[in-house]
Amino acid sequence: MRRRAAIVVPAMLLGMVLSGCGGSPEAQEDAGLLTLAAPRDLVAGPQDPYFTHQTLRVWEPLVNVDDKLRPVPALATSWESAEGGRRWTFTLREGVRFSDGTALNAEAVVANVQRFLRIAPRQSAFFSLDAGMEAAYGQLEEVRADGGRVTFELRRPVADLPGRLAGFFSMVQSPKAFAASGDFAANPVGTGPYTLARWVKGQQAELAANPHYYGAAPAYKKIVVKVIPDANARVAALRAGEVDGLIDKGALLSGQVAAVAADSRFRVVRSPSALTHYLTFNGSREPFSDPRLREAAELAIDRRTIAEKLLAGTAKPGAAFLSPVFGDLSDPGVAASYDPARARALVSAAGRPAAPVTILISSAETGQFPYTDVAEVLRAAFEQAGLPAKVTMAEATKAVMEAGDYDVFLSAYSVPNGDADYLFRRFLRSDAAWNVDRKLGYRSQEFDALVDQAATETGQAERRDLYRRLQRLLAADRPMIPLAYQDNPVVTTTGVGGVVQNAAYVVDLGKLTPSSG
Amino acid sequence: MAFLLRRAAETLLVLLVLSVLVFLLTSMAPGDPAEEILRRGGIQPTAGSVAVLRAELGLDQPLPVRYVRWLSEVVRGDLGHSYVDRSPVTGEILARLPATLRLAGAAALVAGGLAVLASLRPRGLGGRVVTAVTVVVASVPPYIVGILLISVVAVGLRALPTGGDSGPGALVLPALTLGLAGAATLTRLLRADLAQALALPFVRLAAAKGLSARRAVTVHALRVAAPNAITAGGAVLADLVAGAVVVETLFSWPGVGQLAISAIRQRDVPVVQAYVLVIGAATVLLLALVDLCLAAADPRVRRR
Repeated sequence: MRRRAAIVVPAMLLGMVLSGCGGSPEAQEDAGLLTLAAPRDLVAGPQDPYFTHQTLRVWEPLVNVDDKLRPVPALATSWESAEGGRRWTFTLREGVRFSDGTALNAEAVVANVQRFLRIAPRQSAFFSLDAGMEAAYGQLEEVRADGGRVTFELRRPVADLPGRLAGFFSMVQSPKAFAASGDFAANPVGTGPYTLARWVKGQQAELAANPHYYGAAPAYKKIVVKVIPDANARVAALRAGEVDGLIDKGALLSGQVAAVAADSRFRVVRSPSALTHYLTFNGSREPFSDPRLREAAELAIDRRTIAEKLLAGTAKPGAAFLSPVFGDLSDPGVAASYDPARARALVSAAGRPAAPVTILISSAETGQFPYTDVAEVLRAAFEQAGLPAKVTMAEATKAVMEAGDYDVFLSAYSVPNGDADYLFRRFLRSDAAWNVDRKLGYRSQEFDALVDQAATETGQAERRDLYRRLQRLLAADRPMIPLAYQDNPVVTTTGVGGVVQNAAYVVDLGKLTPSSG
Repeated sequence: MAFLLRRAAETLLVLLVLSVLVFLLTSMAPGDPAEEILRRGGIQPTAGSVAVLRAELGLDQPLPVRYVRWLSEVVRGDLGHSYVDRSPVTGEILARLPATLRLAGAAALVAGGLAVLASLRPRGLGGRVVTAVTVVVASVPPYIVGILLISVVAVGLRALPTGGDSGPGALVLPALTLGLAGAATLTRLLRADLAQALALPFVRLAAAKGLSARRAVTVHALRVAAPNAITAGGAVLADLVAGAVVVETLFSWPGVGQLAISAIRQRDVPVVQAYVLVIGAATVLLLALVDLCLAAADPRVRRR
């Protein structure tokens, strides 16, 4: 018997080895190679509007956002507006070449914008050419190259066009990279520090330093970004030393952060993102058509505990409608008070509702955030205040909300770029699809007028004041309340330095450098 | 011949029913795929864009029309285009099928090897150990087994990769996780049958005549036990393909199971449809094949 086992077991192992295909053995650690992992494939392929995610730095936009969602130069070094925001002119960076060696010029930028307009609306694995596109180019009359600069003529003034163009919607790639259909002919051809050298769909992307890059050559000659969808498998790969870091949106679940951060081999970088958890009230039916009960609901919620305990410190308690990543557009004067006693008093005064209020969550979001727990905490808080409540999880929340069959909806929203107008206009203006279809029942002429005024106001200080007035109005009316501002924690080993992440989850791979501890 | 024709007709009918079920299950799922697709990164899509995309995807057509259109393309080998990145689904599935087949094949080797090991000498040391291990493992979900293997072998000892398909070693842990689950079922069936077969008079006579134990088992006993073993093998293979979904997700193994899970997460209906259809059809054909093998091995089946 023992002899037979001695034959069978090695034979089984040999069979397994032989059935493996000729994958290359793990590359040895060499100085110029960095291996990262992400929850999703950051390459979407030739049918995608962009081919690769901005994070990979294969292509660059005209304008970027910083960690405060402010527009900062990328391929455009400066911009100026004329005619009260009806004409915008962008000056391009000098001496930029695409990775195929051809020079970047204004005509190439114009060709990119025209391609976007031609193929929109179109889905993408990253940002659909849809609402964000409309915010960026919805008022566009004409885009033209004049004397090496790019000019946008608009039908109506847009005060913050650079912010709206930031990121994906002002991507520039060589016009030669596009086929007539608007898809890509072959590989992406951009101006970033890296080129896409090899791609195995759904498994990994290999980036190589771009020899034509105009800036300082990146520290790593080659970067491999593996796709590891399972959160536990990602952390296992990090602990086993197979990858040097985890990047991208949702790289670490909130429950994993503490344990990984406590390990001296790793460095967790938390930076604020544009993602905010909001509670949306159904104001078109009892009980939350009564503003006193909306106020009671807000006062009953202990946002600090939700942010620190349930979201494990990966979020900050919400207050103003615009999160702090909007910099000084966010109103620091809006305070989130937690006052259960006052909540109870308000419920008594308004009359306790007979039926329990429905707290709705989407099953699609429970994998990313601990919404089941958050909803349970909300339910308990409402009950404490005298509002009977129950939690409902739905697969298709849209249908449930459009039927008006909910009282509070918990979900996270982001903005496509540095566009503050988007949140107010898309969600809460009287004609916003969200407001109307989802039965928010919010009608405020004052609010609508302020939104329109702010969108065309080019004076920095005036615009800021208008947005702060809007936020104070929302703090009083409460059609939606910001529960928490979500950070996006990313992690690398201590051997990797220079990790910078902007508010749109873009880690600048071009800035990563080997570091000692 | 008549038997063959009847089986073929039955199989075709089952496949047709399967196609209707697959289509209905995935098309009747709540939610609007067009809206889901456009809502990337928490951005609310505009109503106009959703309408345009619905028309582009043919979602505005009545259900029977969509079914007939879908089936006529499927018959031609065209499984449609992914909602997410617009790539052809057939190519996607074909590109990932080899990895799943390798995993299922290696797992079948593990399961079969362990089952034979445990059945030949059920009272020997090896047999007892394998039996004990498979019983324990069978009562633990594969997901937990996989996590344990990853944390001990890959993270703790750094002996093998935690996942991915980066060389021959990467196959070992996923195949073990998947194979151990199948081994338990197979062992139970094979052991009982072999014990019965070994106790049959003609086998004992062969042993008494001085045949070596190995010959008695391989030539005589296994032949008697074969019909049941074929049935069990077919069932276990179907189990392996289904179980591959969990194991592939856990080990980032680039097979069709991992594809299906990410497609479900992103509501990529054409990919989910294609996966269920391909796996369903493969199972139906596998069971038909098992029937044919049984008929060849046992004349009584053909007369039923």
